[in-house]
Amino acid sequence: MKDAVERWIDTQKKKLQKAPVTSEDLDALRDCLQEPRQQVLYLYSKSTNMRSPIASWSLCDPTKPQEPTLPSQERPYASVLEAMADGWRVVQFPISKLYRYEEVDNDYLGYEFVLEKWI
Amino acid sequence: MTDVKPTMTDSDVMDFVAQGYVLLEGIIGEDFNRQCDTLPPGNANAFITSDAFIEEVLLHSELAGVARSLLGENFRLPNGGHHHFYEAPHFGQTWHSDGLSGSGYDVTNLQCYYFPHAVEIEDGPTMILPGSHCRAVDREAIAHYGDVLGQVSLTVPAGSVALTRYGIWHKAGPKTNNKKRSMIKFSYYRTSPPVRDWKIDATEMPAYQNRARLPYVTEVESYRDRVRRERTWDWLCGANT
Repeated sequence: MKDAVERWIDTQKKKLQKAPVTSEDLDALRDCLQEPRQQVLYLYSKSTNMRSPIASWSLCDPTKPQEPTLPSQERPYASVLEAMADGWRVVQFPISKLYRYEEVDNDYLGYEFVLEKWI
Repeated sequence: MTDVKPTMTDSDVMDFVAQGYVLLEGIIGEDFNRQCDTLPPGNANAFITSDAFIEEVLLHSELAGVARSLLGENFRLPNGGHHHFYEAPHFGQTWHSDGLSGSGYDVTNLQCYYFPHAVEIEDGPTMILPGSHCRAVDREAIAHYGDVLGQVSLTVPAGSVALTRYGIWHKAGPKTNNKKRSMIKFSYYRTSPPVRDWKIDATEMPAYQNRARLPYVTEVESYRDRVRRERTWDWLCGANT
């Protein structure tokens, strides 16, 4: 939060040389003062290796309006590692022993990594 | 149903075994599609068992031909069904299979989705996951699954019907507009033991020719898929009954 407010101040200082602070600028300041909120990203990797390709994904983002969004076939990241490079932190690794199957029957798609960002 | 002719070849049946569904696009006539406009949401037993529905939909040569191919002689017509109707925007359903379905290698019924209107992506089309029909699933435990590589949104012209193995994972997709979207769901049932009596060129039963790995499938799962497909193929041919 502190970093965001400092950035806002720096921006406004520069802007004030040409134009006054507006209502929209103050709304942006209010946004900066919000407590950080957690984004959660589920990535289903094709193995427990973080370099494996992604088979399925789901993003839970409380910072955006909660409204229907169209399905997509565009993976947000090619791998868990790529997501980490973009600032996502892994909060749950797949536990191999949970991915059990009996003979050839199973009930899962991929290996579930749970990642988070605080924004 | 002895007068219904099978329409699928060995290769078509092998495709179904791998994918878990057959899609027939735009087969039902527009006159009958429009008769569905006044159907209320919910239970549609009376409509589905009406003479008009039986003649125009259930016994349509292409649709019944698939049912005949996969369910054998004397397959049973649906005795009811459901009208899934959406109008307002919504988030869509979560992935699920119906009932206690999903495991096993038999094909004892075909669950069908009939779309009397054209369906666009914004209309919240039914979505299916090809190849998921042999995976038993706890629907509450996968409610957080989102997009899956290889998922199919059934964006189809009016009068289309998808026939699925009962256990296939499916859901109503997210809907972002206020357009009416109808899907009439019903099932055909097998009444006789499986026999390879669809359209065949040679009497000798061919071995299953494996199909491509589906996009979401892991390495080891592709081996399991092959075994599952071979078992389903053998079962349908009556080789292990």
